[in-house]
Amino acid sequence: MKMLHIYRSEPTDDVKKLVEIVSEGRDQASFNLNVESPDYDKLVDMVWDADQTICWW
Amino acid sequence: MAKSIGIFVTSPQNMRHVVGVTKAALAKGARVKVFFTWAGTHLTKCSEFPALCALDNVDVSICADSYKKVGYDVKDIPKGLTPEKMATQAQHGLILEEYDCYLTL
Amino acid sequence: MSKKVFFMYPSNEYSLDGIRSALGLAVENMYAYGVMMNTVLADTDLTDYHKENIDWIRDMEGEVYSIPDGNVEKHGFVKITLEELGQKLRDMDVIIPYGIQRSDKS
Repeated sequence: MKMLHIYRSEPTDDVKKLVEIVSEGRDQASFNLNVESPDYDKLVDMVWDADQTICWW
Repeated sequence: MAKSIGIFVTSPQNMRHVVGVTKAALAKGARVKVFFTWAGTHLTKCSEFPALCALDNVDVSICADSYKKVGYDVKDIPKGLTPEKMATQAQHGLILEEYDCYLTL
Repeated sequence: MSKKVFFMYPSNEYSLDGIRSALGLAVENMYAYGVMMNTVLADTDLTDYHKENIDWIRDMEGEVYSIPDGNVEKHGFVKITLEELGQKLRDMDVIIPYGIQRSDKS
């Protein structure tokens, strides 16, 4: 299972812990939306490629 | 073959991401559905909202009950929407049932 | 097969409408769950309307959890720890961090 974690802001300690637990033993990738100019083209490719996407706060 | 993508908008802060992801997905030949709920309905007042609604292969709707609860008059239909797009949470269910990929923004 | 969907509510501001969103999926024959992550709802926040929504979610085999003890003691939410939540999320088809996470957790 491929997971994609998208971060809309700097992840809190709680979010980091949840990401660690849900990703254990699974393929994972991450994308940071909290930047000046996100590469949306790349993001869509990553979403296409993932089995599950979580868009964290 | 291009996939379809549904976007569930619950934050009042992410219009640039909604537009950015939608346009990038459309450029890849995707079909996009965007549903705005609760504080996300404030984004109907953004200048980009009518243009988002006007894009081909994009289905935009909002939760009418949320729109009312955050202080707007449901008779004041946001520019770009038609009355039937002032909808319910069933639109979110449609995204989860009928679209290949899913994002929360 | 019915999807399993978990809503995470970062603050009171987003919880009550988020619970309504969870109910909206429960009536679409999905398993809908919610969790209060950081804050405790005041008695005045949790109206009869909200209580009914929570009861309906439970009737449809969903649940509303809380990490803070206050919602468990005052409102009957089911206690969950962060670690237990993480394990439950592993079993979900859809995970929804709802609204905005505020740094002050208000």
